[in-house]
Amino acid sequence: MDAVSYTAQWMAAARAQESEREDALFVDPLARDLAAPRGFELIERYAGGGLLPFISIRTRFLDDAIREVLAESGIQQVVLIAAGMDTRAYRLDWPDGTEVYEVDHALLIAEKRRRLDALGAEPRTDRREVSADLTQEWLPALEAAGFDRERPTLWVAEALTFFLTEEQAAGLLRLLASASAPGSHLAFDILGRALLRSPFSKSFLETLAADGTPWIFGTDEPEEFLTANGWKTTDLREPGQPGAGEGRWPYQVQPRNRRGANRLWLIRAEIATA
Amino acid sequence: MSSAGIDSKGIDKVRDWILGRHPERTELAADVDLIESRLVDSLAFVELVYTIEDAAGIEVDFESIDIEDFQTLATIEKAFFA
Repeated sequence: MDAVSYTAQWMAAARAQESEREDALFVDPLARDLAAPRGFELIERYAGGGLLPFISIRTRFLDDAIREVLAESGIQQVVLIAAGMDTRAYRLDWPDGTEVYEVDHALLIAEKRRRLDALGAEPRTDRREVSADLTQEWLPALEAAGFDRERPTLWVAEALTFFLTEEQAAGLLRLLASASAPGSHLAFDILGRALLRSPFSKSFLETLAADGTPWIFGTDEPEEFLTANGWKTTDLREPGQPGAGEGRWPYQVQPRNRRGANRLWLIRAEIATA
Repeated sequence: MSSAGIDSKGIDKVRDWILGRHPERTELAADVDLIESRLVDSLAFVELVYTIEDAAGIEVDFESIDIEDFQTLATIEKAFFA
């Protein structure tokens, strides 16, 4: 498994820990088995800085986004980009007829399938694996699995944009827009730029870089970034706000105009119409 | 130290803010490394800066922050309350 797959194990370990809390924001019964071998070790390695609560809050924010967008829009085509060890296809309630595409590289998909099969896990909707290299053209593989760009889509890109350059992140949004029928939605997260530049983040960021998974992209103007790349922001939250882990976030939510604040953006958007 | 608690110095406000975030601690020596000890992490850092600004009545320029100034209570006192 490559470095980004260890990141997937780290996320799974964080979800396993969250699931065991009294006040759990979600319960992911498969996460513990998907976190091996390195997930829990990485929780220790990357400890501090609000990461664990952020991972939990983000997971719940996206769970809510998926449920609400599908209920309101009638969208039946959901694409989890760089799905990693995500188990939403196994744990959320899906409207009848929903197709969930999980896109990730072949090694991760094979390992995830092996583990889920061993657990006897059964998806709760039409789950489709898509092995693809996200740094190459991957829409053809998605379409080969049944994706139809003429139908509206909900795209979910959890914990993905950090690892891209600004050009790559912009390119991803434009690529998704190019394959989005009218009425399509996007739910994802972006780091704030200040966070990537703060001297207090330095040692954590250096650890990530040494592990081959540097955090690269962040912006303090997420709405502008989306608009420039074909998307209209419909819901923008920061952890600690209502609907985004209020009461579970161990930091103050800083007013938007406050200088220098470290931001983590949780975003829902819809395809811009010409 | 007899009456210092009432009319507390600026640096005491900074110490109180850090201790307030870490109820398991009751004291904080001036030479404890705030970053190494994870008493102040990257997300709390901005709150530390605002606390110093309020206590010192100054404005910190985020563009030219020197992390050395924020390493310990002693360096904070020297940089912002001297």
